Amino acid sequence: MKLSTVWLDGLWDRNPGLIQLLGLCPLLAVSNTLENAIGLGLATLFVLVLSNASISLIRTLVDDAIRLPIFVLVIAALTTCAELLVQALDYQLYQSLGIFLPLIVTNCLILGRAEALAKRETIVMSTIDGLAQGLGFFLVLVSLGALREWMSGTLILAALPPGAFIALGLLVAIHQWIQGKLKQKPTEQSMDQTNRRVRTTGDIS
Amino acid sequence: MTVRLTLFGLITSLFVGLVYVMTKPVIIEAKEQARQEKLYLLAAPLLANGRIASPVQRELPDDAPASFEHPLSITPIVTDTEQLGVVLPITALQGYSGPIQLLLALDQQQRIVGVRAIEHRETPGLGDRIETRKSDWMLAFNGLRYDDLAPDDWAVQNDGGQFDSFTGATITPRAVVDALKETLAYLARHPVILEASP
Repeated sequence: MKLSTVWLDGLWDRNPGLIQLLGLCPLLAVSNTLENAIGLGLATLFVLVLSNASISLIRTLVDDAIRLPIFVLVIAALTTCAELLVQALDYQLYQSLGIFLPLIVTNCLILGRAEALAKRETIVMSTIDGLAQGLGFFLVLVSLGALREWMSGTLILAALPPGAFIALGLLVAIHQWIQGKLKQKPTEQSMDQTNRRVRTTGDIS
Repeated sequence: MTVRLTLFGLITSLFVGLVYVMTKPVIIEAKEQARQEKLYLLAAPLLANGRIASPVQRELPDDAPASFEHPLSITPIVTDTEQLGVVLPITALQGYSGPIQLLLALDQQQRIVGVRAIEHRETPGLGDRIETRKSDWMLAFNGLRYDDLAPDDWAVQNDGGQFDSFTGATITPRAVVDALKETLAYLARHPVILEASP
């Protein structure tokens, strides 16, 4: 796997928010203001990078039978740490993120990356994948937060839950449209390869 | 395998414990500061003429309701000559996801100057409407004394009372109203608890 592919996948080609549509619950719930979006985006990035790194680090010690409990254990421990750190660094942010901070544990993006990549790749590759996917998620969350906060001045719907779905739909549509434009030019990849459904989770045992 | 799982459990717990110990003093300080800020906002009408005095610890009799801390720490609002009111923490124990911490400001007639939720884990979008930045629900208590309402009216509408019960989340407002009722009823019988210099 090439490093450039890892970056491109996380930020654009297989962006967790726009293509894989992972972690939608926090993405939609916490994007009502820019500040919340930045806070949760950073906390998720923190957990994702460290979980990818530590899971890659212990990958040889973990056999299939205890793989999932250990992954969840690692992710839960890191999320608790993130929660404590946010509480210590910005108590106001901690209060406005509320339940969504501990709920990072259930963000399927994190377990998804552990299963899809970190459990077999080297620590460097896994860390970079965590960074790329986390940044991809962060950027979508922040764009959504900025868009909704900006629009809520004129359109109250943007601040309400349905507004989150509509705004995300818009972002996905824009992403698809640009992808479509890019695809019309000849690329090194064949059409059916870029078009196939992305497999987001690993194997089930 | 079991050994390995246990070992991982121990290592991760150790790690979380370490972060907990490291962040604990900072978190306590941040919490105290957030509470102070809420206190200023809450007591603002009283602070127009008065200032915040240092907190006083109160030992309460055994029959005091569970919504009080033991010992109770009250913060009097005073001028140079008299007491204008008091701010005290109370806890609504019957919240949907654990206790709801409230801060209550009363004037000398035990009229509610303001009440705010300072810490809770209620459901976002349902129970969290007790927060004033989400809804005005909490403001309905402003200006009320315990004997302004019949005892039965100190309840949410679902229970035949006066206060709006959130659709789909009655447990949260019920917990808050019940805790306030219990607290105010007790304080009305024991006003001396709130005197800074009895």
